[in-house]
Formats: sequence, C-alpha cells, structure tokens
Amino acid sequence: MTLLDGLWLVSALTALGAGLFGRSPATGPWLTVLYGVQFLLVALMGSLAYGAAPVPASVTFDILGQALSWRFTSLSWFFALITAGASLTAAWFMGGAWARAYEQRGGDLRLLQLALALNPVTMYVLLASGDFLSLFVGWELVSWASFLLMLSAGGVGVRWAMRYLVYAIGGAMAVMGAMVQAYAVTGSFAFGALAAAAPNLSAGALWSLVILLAGGFGVKMGLLPFHLWQAGAYAETPGPGSAFLGAISSRMGLFAMLLTLWGVLGFAVLQGLHVPWTPLEANELLAWVAAFTLVFPTFTALRQNDARWLLAWHGIGQGGYMLMGVAMGDALASAGGLMHVFNHATYQAALFMAVTAVVYRTGTADLNKLGGLVTRMPLSFLVLLVGIIGLAGLPPMNGFVSKWLIYRALIDEGQPLLFVAAVVGTLGTIVSVYKLLHNIFLGQLRVEHETVREVPWSMLSPMLVLSVVVFVTGLAPGLVLDWVASAQRELGLPVLVPTLGGVARPDGGLDMLWVVGLLFAGFGVGALIFLAGGRARTVHQLDNYAGGHFLSADVRYHYSDNFYAGLMHKIGTWYRGSFRWLQDAVVAATDFLAQGAVGIYRSIQPTAWLLGVAVLALWWVTA
Amino acid sequence: MNFVVLAVALPLLAGFLSPALGRSSRALVQWVGWGTLAVCIAVLWAAWARLDGTSAAIAIGGFRPPLGIALYLDRMALLFALAVPVMVLLLWPREGTPQQFALSLVLAASATGLALSGDIFNVYVFYELTAAASFGLIAGRNAGMAQAAALRYLLLSAAGSVLLLAGITIVYLRTGTLNLAHLASLAPERLADPAGLAAFALMLIGLGVKAELFPVNGWVPEVYASVSGRLAGLLAGLVSKLAVLVVVRVLVLIFPQPEAAELMLVLGMLGIGAGELAAWRARDLRRQFAFSSIGQLGIVFVAFSVPGEAGIVAGLAVALHHLLVKPALFLLAERWGGSIEGLRGAGRGQWLASGLFILFALSLVGLPPLPGFWAKLLTVMGLLEQGTGLARLGAMVVMAATVVEAAYLFRTLAVLLAREHRGRLPEPHRWLDLATASLAGLVLVGSVFALRPLGEGLKAVAAQAADVDGYVRTVLGRAAASRGDEAPAGDPLATGPGSSPPSGGRVRGAGPVAAAPTEAAS
Repeated sequence: MTLLDGLWLVSALTALGAGLFGRSPATGPWLTVLYGVQFLLVALMGSLAYGAAPVPASVTFDILGQALSWRFTSLSWFFALITAGASLTAAWFMGGAWARAYEQRGGDLRLLQLALALNPVTMYVLLASGDFLSLFVGWELVSWASFLLMLSAGGVGVRWAMRYLVYAIGGAMAVMGAMVQAYAVTGSFAFGALAAAAPNLSAGALWSLVILLAGGFGVKMGLLPFHLWQAGAYAETPGPGSAFLGAISSRMGLFAMLLTLWGVLGFAVLQGLHVPWTPLEANELLAWVAAFTLVFPTFTALRQNDARWLLAWHGIGQGGYMLMGVAMGDALASAGGLMHVFNHATYQAALFMAVTAVVYRTGTADLNKLGGLVTRMPLSFLVLLVGIIGLAGLPPMNGFVSKWLIYRALIDEGQPLLFVAAVVGTLGTIVSVYKLLHNIFLGQLRVEHETVREVPWSMLSPMLVLSVVVFVTGLAPGLVLDWVASAQRELGLPVLVPTLGGVARPDGGLDMLWVVGLLFAGFGVGALIFLAGGRARTVHQLDNYAGGHFLSADVRYHYSDNFYAGLMHKIGTWYRGSFRWLQDAVVAATDFLAQGAVGIYRSIQPTAWLLGVAVLALWWVTA
Repeated sequence: MNFVVLAVALPLLAGFLSPALGRSSRALVQWVGWGTLAVCIAVLWAAWARLDGTSAAIAIGGFRPPLGIALYLDRMALLFALAVPVMVLLLWPREGTPQQFALSLVLAASATGLALSGDIFNVYVFYELTAAASFGLIAGRNAGMAQAAALRYLLLSAAGSVLLLAGITIVYLRTGTLNLAHLASLAPERLADPAGLAAFALMLIGLGVKAELFPVNGWVPEVYASVSGRLAGLLAGLVSKLAVLVVVRVLVLIFPQPEAAELMLVLGMLGIGAGELAAWRARDLRRQFAFSSIGQLGIVFVAFSVPGEAGIVAGLAVALHHLLVKPALFLLAERWGGSIEGLRGAGRGQWLASGLFILFALSLVGLPPLPGFWAKLLTVMGLLEQGTGLARLGAMVVMAATVVEAAYLFRTLAVLLAREHRGRLPEPHRWLDLATASLAGLVLVGSVFALRPLGEGLKAVAAQAADVDGYVRTVLGRAAASRGDEAPAGDPLATGPGSSPPSGGRVRGAGPVAAAPTEAAS
C-alpha cells in the first residue's frame, strides 16, 4: 500500500464517518483529527516536491481496452497540500461552536459534513489522474461533490447550485469532447500518446483541443465569460464550506488545465499556435482571457454589499492572476502564477472564516448593517486585516510575492498592456478590500452590536493559523517557491531557483526578509512616536463627539452605502451586465426552441408529421 | 433448438385462453400468466446456454429458408427476447382485469417474436400484434384521457404500419424474398440504389412510430402521462427497444449504404433535441420522463447509426441502460405523477425513493463510473471516430443534450427534496413498486463492479450481430464468399426445397422444425 492509497483510504473513511455520524456536532473534533491525518499523509509525500519519483496508487482499472491509472506527481502534491490544508482548517473551524449553532438554527449538519468530506476525496482522485479517462472520472466526481456542498445550504443556495450544475456539466462535456478527440487521433486515452502526437497535429485539431480543454476547465475556474455561477454559488454555501470552496475548489480547473495543456500538449505547442488575424499566440490569448477575468470581476466585487459575495467575486479575479502567470510561461511568471494558488488559498480561507465569524456573532454579512466591530472582535479584525493585505497583494503578506513575480515577468516579457491590466486589477482589489475592512470593523458601532463578543477559540484558532501562514510565507517565500519549482519542472516550464527571501537576480531581485524587516522598522519608529507622544483617554465606543456635537448612538453617520460614489460615477456606466445579458439570451433561446419542441407534441394531427417526414426522407434518399 | 418456439407460442396460447379462464377466476389467470412467463424465461435461458455464443436458425414448419419463415437466434436476439418475459413479469399489471393479463401475455409473445424473427414478414405480423396489444392496454384504464391518447397512438401507428408495409413491398418487388438472410445476400445487387434506400426510409419511419423516432412519436407524451407507470415503463423500456432492434437488423443486414445510417443519425439528432428540450419545459413529471425517453431513444438511434461493431456496442449500451432506468423511473412516478410543483418536499421522508431517483438521474446524466457514463462515452467515441461533419454534429448534440438533461432532472430533484412543502403530500410508494425500482438500482450499481465483463460481453454480442456473413451462413448454410460476388441462385421464388445448399442437411426438412448451428456450418 502506497501513501496515496493511504490518503484515499483515510479521506474516504472521513467521508464515511461524516455520513454516518455527522449529524451530531460532537463528531466535529474527531473528523478534524481525520482531516489532520490526511494532511499528515500528504505531508509525508513531501519528498515529491524535492525531486522524488511519482507515488503511484495500487489501484488500476482496465476498461474498454484502456488502462486507468493514478499517481501523485510534484504538481499533484502541490495542489493536494493546499487541498488538505484548506479542508483541515475548514473542518477545524466548523467542528466546534459553529456546528452547534448551525444545528440549532436548523441546518442539516450531516449533509454539510458529508459534502465537505467528499470534496477532498474526489479532489485527491482528480489530482492523481494518470490518463484522460481517469482525469475525466475525477473531474466529474469533483464537480458533483462541490455541487453537493453548494446544495447543503438550501434556500437561495439551491438556485445557485443549479446554475453551477448547468455550467459544470457544460464544461465537463467540453472536456469529454476533447478527450474523445484525443482518442480519435491516438487510439488511446494515455497522456503520453497525445504528447507524442501533438507536434504533428494540424493547427485546426490543436485549436479544437485547446479551446475545448481551456473552455471546459475554465468553467470551473470562472474564466470569462463562464464566471457568472461562481460568486453566488460560493457565497451562499454555509461559511466553512465557502472557505473551502473559495480556497481551492475552482483551482482544480487550473490544475487540470495545467496538466493537459501544459503537461501533455506542452507549452511549446501553445506558443507555436497562432491566433488568426492577430499578433497573438495561444498562450497570449489565454493571458488576455486571464486579464479580463482579473479586471472585470474585481470591479464587480467592488460593488457588492454582501461581504461573502465580495470575497467570492475577488476569488474569480484572483484566478486571473494565476492563469496569466502560467500563460506567460517564463520562470518568474509561472512561479508567480503557481505560488498565487497557494497564497490565495491561505488568505481567502482566512477571509471567509473571518466573515463567517462576523456572521456567527451578528447574523449578517450585509456591509451596510455592520461597523465598528474592531473593539468587539479584535482577533477577527486582525485575521481580516492580514487577509486583505494578502488579497490586495501588499507587503509583507504572501500575496505580494506572487504578484510581484508576475508584474516583474510581464515587464521582462514586454507586455505593457497586460501589466496595466494586472495593476488595474490590484488597484481595484485594494479599494474593494478597504471597503470590506471599513464597513465591518471600522467606524460607528451599531447599538445592536454593543454586546457582541469575539468568537470562540474553536473558530479563532484555524483563522490565526492561516494568518500566520500568510505572514510566514510572505516573509520567507522560498519555502513555497521550492515546491513551485518542482511543479514547474514537472510541467516542463523553465524553473525559478529561489532563495529563502524570494529571488536573487543581478538586475534587482526580491528579498522579503529585507522588505519585511524595513517595514517593521518603520512601524517601530511610528509606534515609538505614538507611545512617546500624545495622551489618550479611552471612552465608550458609542460615546462620540464630532463638530461640537455629541452624537447619540441612534444617529447613523457610518458611511457605507454607495461606497466610492465618485469612482462609481466614473466607471458605473461600464456595468451594463453584458455577460448576464449573454447568459439570459442563451437561456431565452433555449426556451424558445423548447417551446417549439413542445409545440410539435401538441399538434392535433401527429400523422401530418409522419407524412411530412416520409416525403422529406424519400426526397433525401432519392435526390 | 426447436423448443425456443415455445417462448412465442406459449404466452400466445395463454393469452388467448385467459379471457375464458378469467370468467371463472381472476387469480387463476394471473398465476397462469406468471407461470407462462416463467417458462418463457427458462426456455430462452436454456437456449442462451445451449447456443453458448453461436447462432442458430429455426425453420418453422420445415420449409427451408428462404421459402419458409424463420426464427433467428443469436446473442442479440436472445438478449432482447430474454428481456421481454422478465420485464413483463416485473411490470405485470397487478390490479388489472383478466383482459389486461391476456393482453400482457399477447404483448410478451409478439415482442419475443419480434426479437427472434428472421424475416420481414414475421416482423410485420408481430409488429402489428404488439401494436394491437398495446392499444388495448393503453385504452384499458377507462379514463377519457387514456382513450384519447390511445386513439392518437392508433392513428399514428396505423399510418406507420402503412409506411412499413410500403417499404416491405418495395423490398419484395426488388428481390422477391422477405427472408433477412436471403435479403442480405441479394441486397448488394438489388437494393443498393435510391429505391432500396426509399424502402429503408419507409421502414425506418414505420417502425419508428413504436421506437419513438422523431417526429412520428407524437403519441408518446400523451400515452405515458395517462397510463399507469408500469405500462409506461413497459412501452418506453421494452417495446420501443424491440422496434429499434428490428431497425438495426435491417440496417446491418440489408442497407450498408452510408445514406441509410445518415438518415437515422439525422432523425435521431432531431429526436434528442426535441425530446430533451420539451422535457426541460415539461411541468408534469410523467411528461418529463416521456420526453426524456424520446431524447434517450434519439441517442439510441444516433449510437446505432455509427457503422460497424462500435455502433452496435454503443447502441446496445445506451439501449440496455435506458431499458433498466426508465421503467424504474416510471415506477417512481406512479405516486409522484402530476405537476412537478405539486411535489414540493415530497421526496423528504421517502429516502429510498429519493435515493433511487438521484441514482437514476446521475446515471442518465452520466456520472462516472455509473453505466450511463460509459454508454454515453461509447456513443461519443463512435461518432467522433468517424470524423465526418454530421457525426461530429451528432456528438455535439448528444453532449449538449446532457447539459439540458442535468438541468431538468436536478431541478425536479431540488423540488422533490425542498425543505418546505405545500399542501398534502402524495401517498408513499407501494412496496412492490419500490422493490422493483430498487432491483433496477441494484443492477445498475452492481454493473459498476462488472464493467469489464459487461464490456466484453457487449462486444461479443455486437461482433456477432455485425457479422452479416455469419447470419447468411447460419440461415442459408451458404458459403460466406458467395455474398455479393456470385449471382444469386436464380429467381429466389424458384429456390425451392430442391436446390439444397452445398452443405445439405444443415437445414433439415424432415422434422417440423429444424435448427442449424453455425458451428456445424463453419
């Protein structure tokens, strides 16, 4: 039995336990321990990230004359580590007080536990896929597992889960088309067969493979224009579920895309594929899709008034950075893109948990109904602060490192327009996450939140652990970049050789140890001035005084609605809902066709159809 | 092998005796029916075991083919023939009258005959008999709606029969024979022209009425929505497949022209589109299943249109999967019939039924490793390997239909499992319906663990069915090489018992019924 078999077994046991006993909140800690064992097993395979040979699974299948096989490579391991971490922290967060409260509010805890446990199992199957058939099997399993997680909320969540399902099945069918097309060319579902045949394929065949695979897997990533399902589906899932989904679920799309387009077809093939009537190659086309994906959803996030929706929209946008990085394909950019997968998972999980913590205490995620919670929930505030610095890509958190690598590579590669898009996206993110922090934690405390307390430790501890990871991997990105380098090697991309603090380059590298040191030295000076200077008197938070007036608590002066009115005045006209319009148009067209189909079966004289088709068929065969 | 005739004759006899017996005791008729069907199963099973993968022909009344009428037994024929008594037994109209029992038995006899027929004349007779039995069963429920539906079915079916007969007439005029094996050897010379294709088109459309082929399936939604779930399951699951089986035999043996398969592909594609889209808009659960059945039969046609063994494997996989799943779904709709919105919350508390629904829906949509996925994969593989534009379009239609299918099946499930419910919930399912549906579910899940033997089994069935020479050799005992190369033995009408085939004695004229296993011929 290999470690991979063990991982499958333990994760399946976790799901079984969740399904059998998940109804009782008391199982939470036990399940968390099982998730911990999963994490440990993944960690034990850590030598994969340092050049060890792939870990195979003992299970193989032989069907349709094709052998299905599974194995973990360094790329699989990188994504599996993130999956294991995300599921462990999500289960930890859920396991104690949160689960009891969820149960008391009438939530279906068993369903939620089971759905959450099924997600990592299916992901480990997907991540281990060794040929197209096992990839497709894993892909479908992952899709249905996340569908179940989205369903677990009931109510509005069901509507969003249904929308997800339609998108996901559409994507899966595109993948199936590509897989069968590869089979038609090579007579095999093996990765190697297509890899060998790829250089000799015609441009048309290659394009259809690239479009089907990128489109099919892109649905899961929320690439434009297939992104409309994601924000609602992730945001309306119960808190720990959305933390897990937001952290890793849509990255499975990136993994599968990397595995097939980069790993099997090869990056050189993408670079050699010319987009007709443009100066672009296929990989640049993908980079441009990524650019649009990172700009538009980010600014849509800016307009959200629900904290969960805001984060979910950012999740779509950040996926754009990852794809842009790997699509540029040089050592720096692809390292940045891959590292961003890790970074995003850590801070996004922390952010969703912090928001869930606020919902746990206040009952709302509406950004217009919160404010001033910083003194009530100081640690949650800290977690959210660390998270948004990471999300915005500012030092000293890890998000800065991955984005810096991407910016740097875009300049190196001579892509000023993509660089501008990346920077505009970051700008939007900074503006947007400030709104998140401000509307929840800063400003005026609402009277009804006067008695709000910090969340219990069962919820705080995973949040704090994640924040520490966000900071430490920002301080010493070399830890993660080592793993990234072996994933790059697996994909046949140029490899970035990292230092502990980042990258050493003759023309100016990045050493986060120095950056963070200087930053904290600056903070230290500021703190000294603050402590040495003024005298402060602590008053009650509702005891306010402004412009010569005492403000009583019933006067609302916390500015939250129509945040950034000026900015929205400038860019608001861009929001015409074009994608929504497109989606609605497709649905309407389908409905129109369906009405026609129903009409056929409503006809009073069905024999007229018989006569008609007989005449047509005779005409067709004799013509 | 002669005893196989019992599988057709016995239920026919029992069926005709039933009304008389029914005057004394309803229970007696029921037991006679069950006993007969059990014997049929035993007979067909024995034939399957005895043949052990070879094929055989039975000349009825000792008249050697091509003059006499023949039954043909190979794996595919026996597979579907075996499905007939099993399905009729499982979907027996328990609360019916002796008349309905009689009709069910006649349906079983004629459907078995349809599966085993070795000539088009028999096919036509059994087809009409099947139609007559189903009219009676549909109209039998005495509801106005059912009778209106039966009338609709009757009209379409009658018109279809006319077309089928016209097609058969063309074939007969061109070749002078109706024996499938004889036709197979004559076809390359006499039917490889537009007139031959016209005959196929007419036969396809005529048989298509029962096979739910687009657009001659106008009766389907009305009938399935108004009859009992058991009968709907029988018609959708079994009878439609037997009509498809005949089409496939004719296509494989007589019409190897690409145009014939293309016609089937085009109509199948249209059927998928119309069926799945209409199901998407359906607001009544039985209607939704009926439309979904039209879509699935469309996939069956599309799959069988793929030339060669690959097409037969894919078509069989899709057809057998639907044969298993759709009747079970109709059984669940027995209590969950009517408006879907009215079922809000009905699935909660009936977890076995809901679980089965989820399982069947997942398999229909094609979640690997459930069998529905492999069936769909085989179809798409067959289509894309052809590389023609039309086949590629067919693959796209199959895949797009999957998206629509997932949308409506899971929308229905979301309603069934909604936390809130309105008004009175439907009664719980009868245990027998649930047990039958559970059996289908068990077979479905069990087949996941036997994918490899199943795949190999299907391949063997398909290889035998695609082997035209083997068919000809089995029935006529003629050498395979003669097909197409050498002129047929004079006017086929003159091919009497005198001009015996080279390996004489293969088809013995002595007994009333003779059999000729392939082994001996080859």
